[in-house]
Amino acid sequence: MTVHSQGVVTSAPEDAPGRAAGDAHNPPPPTGPNEVLTPSRGRRRLPTGLLPYLLLTPAAVSLLLLLGYPLIRNVILSFQKVNAKELITRKPEWIGFDNYGELLTSSTFWTVVVRSFVFMGTTVLLIMVIGTLLGILLNSLGKAMRLVLSIALLMAWATPIVASVTVFRWLFDEQFGVANWFMRTLGFSGYDQHNWFETGTSTLAIVMVLITWGSIPFVALNMYAGLTTVGAELYEAARMDGASNTRIFRSVVFPILKPFFLITTFLEVIWVFKAFAQVYAMNQGGPDGESQTLPVFAYVIGSGQQQYGVAAAISVLTILILVAAMSFYFRLILKEEDEQ
Amino acid sequence: MKRKLVIAVGVAAMMTGIAACGGDSDAEGAKDKDGNKVLKVWVMDGSAPDAWIKEVNKEFEAKHEGVKVEVEEQKWNGIQEKVTTALSEDTPPDVIELGNTQTAGYAATEGLADLTGDKDKLGYDGWNKGMVASAELDGKLYAAPWYAANRVVIYDKKIFKDAGVEAPTTREEWLDGLKKIKKSNDKAQPIYLPGQSWYVFAGLLWDEGGDLATQDGDKWKGGLATDEAASAMNFYKELQSLSKAPKDKDEATPQQSTDIVPKGNVASWIGLGWEAGGAVAAIEKAGGKADFGYFPIPGKTADKPGSVFLGGSNLAIAERSKHKDLAKEWLALAAGKKQMAKYSEEVAGGLLPNNDDAQFTPEAGSFAEAMAKSAVSGKVTPVTPGWANVETEPNPVKEYMSKVLKGEDPKKAGEAADKVINERINRK
Repeated sequence: MTVHSQGVVTSAPEDAPGRAAGDAHNPPPPTGPNEVLTPSRGRRRLPTGLLPYLLLTPAAVSLLLLLGYPLIRNVILSFQKVNAKELITRKPEWIGFDNYGELLTSSTFWTVVVRSFVFMGTTVLLIMVIGTLLGILLNSLGKAMRLVLSIALLMAWATPIVASVTVFRWLFDEQFGVANWFMRTLGFSGYDQHNWFETGTSTLAIVMVLITWGSIPFVALNMYAGLTTVGAELYEAARMDGASNTRIFRSVVFPILKPFFLITTFLEVIWVFKAFAQVYAMNQGGPDGESQTLPVFAYVIGSGQQQYGVAAAISVLTILILVAAMSFYFRLILKEEDEQ
Repeated sequence: MKRKLVIAVGVAAMMTGIAACGGDSDAEGAKDKDGNKVLKVWVMDGSAPDAWIKEVNKEFEAKHEGVKVEVEEQKWNGIQEKVTTALSEDTPPDVIELGNTQTAGYAATEGLADLTGDKDKLGYDGWNKGMVASAELDGKLYAAPWYAANRVVIYDKKIFKDAGVEAPTTREEWLDGLKKIKKSNDKAQPIYLPGQSWYVFAGLLWDEGGDLATQDGDKWKGGLATDEAASAMNFYKELQSLSKAPKDKDEATPQQSTDIVPKGNVASWIGLGWEAGGAVAAIEKAGGKADFGYFPIPGKTADKPGSVFLGGSNLAIAERSKHKDLAKEWLALAAGKKQMAKYSEEVAGGLLPNNDDAQFTPEAGSFAEAMAKSAVSGKVTPVTPGWANVETEPNPVKEYMSKVLKGEDPKKAGEAADKVINERINRK
């Protein structure tokens, strides 16, 4: 069913990317998915009967056990009152939708929701823009420099979360932080003992830098991998038609790599939205809860204040909100598929 | 095919994210290593001197053959979550040390064994009445009081002497002295006082006649949006302005006694006996010599020292303990008069034992002496099971302090804090 996706490529310079071009007149180098799928087509008919299901079973069972079961327990918990007492006596009390009612009418909850989305949106935008630029840079660098940059990116990616949070905390330390030193050196006043964690916004901004730094390598390396599948003759043809670099990116590269952008943005949205360790380890959601995002909020209410039922309701709402927000994205991906 | 894959990837990624937020806990079997029964005891950081608890356990194990006592030291940071989880498990620690402000809260969760019937064995009649109050709820006994302690000002004798400052007896003298140190010594900070040292603030609040929360009918309400709290905070702010300590941290992060004071240039700080001991040990380990003096937190007038939070710990037995009878025996031994006298001696009077007769007479000029002087002004946090909820992080009292220190109006910050306190303290 993905046979025709080359069509997008050929129509690129002139048309808007999309529906036309069912039949490609010149055969450009196949894009990634094709390469993978074409050889498998011949073999697809081989495994019949039980074998595919058998092969799927281990993954399905472990998913059900490790994700399905806790998820169901979590939903059940969200309809119960479980505070320290109920946890210890193991006698949860059924309270229907009380936890949800309490949350949906609380201004704190909505503040956290809005904050989470603003935080997620900004961070993902930063990650995608910088990651894409770095990917392009990787593609145009010479061999040696590309290796150096790739290694640097991989190192950033491989740094354990809590370790990198600790380093960031030191960078922005009130007394000895390099950030304050840097601002002073640049000639700004008021950075003798500036507390970067004094407000929630400032704290989240630092978390944002941290997550962006940690997430760029994934986007950049993927982007680079995607770019290698774009044939050199396409650039040449576009240049011959007098296209500028930005135009080439907009009309050649972007349409070809659109599936890449869709899925990467999709993943980043989920990853940033659920980022817990970075936010919590930076300042425990403080000061005064001002840097709490939804996962941190759920943790503080649950583990911190021992209202496990309410925390479960928060996490269920988080899933629902995320699904609702992502549904347009699902649609977009599905539409993209249908068009091809 | 591809579409389904994309959806599957998305859903899986989302679920992993959210399901990963759960907690986990391990349940060790509290029995049988070499066939021995294991009695697990949780004590807090700084509570049980090594030599003393080894002695207690040796005596206990000699009396009860086939029983091993295992002592685990816990940190105060995040202890409530830990204890709650432990009490909900099938094999909880048998004996748990609980802070006196939190014992009533745990008693209300039904996670602690009722010790009312064991009063005689435990030596109830000899216990300090003020300390017993925190271990009881609705007329039943849930823990044995262990020790009590309060904070005093610890000062570097040399810095004070160089600046010509003596130990003060009133708040005014105190501030004047600190300012004098600031003028004459540009290296040292006159006092190390982090912005969220809320037990210190509670003392100042009591001095003003206010309280953290008061009972109003069958409900409780927070007391931070009051004039008393505003003037207490005002004085705290003045003290804090003489410190280089962060405004948004408490005394445990970084640990003032071991991370800050041993580095030097701290003229004075407010701490407990075990903190003073820890600082002295850290300084000596680094090859230096500590020369500390101690004085009670000064009051408004010289005739009475400032109010202090009378902190302390109780020893409770988990309701689900598999060795309740052994645990009671251990409790009777460890918290009994004989061992408490040794305890008091071991800590040089730095902690008050549960039995007045076991009290060790402190040396002149020691921490214990200053502590005993200010004990007359000792007070406790509101006595209600709901108070334990208030103390969980983020602690509204701490947030209130940070806000006021950063310049917010005390009334406004107080109202926000009271709202949180009211919600938590009345939570059933």
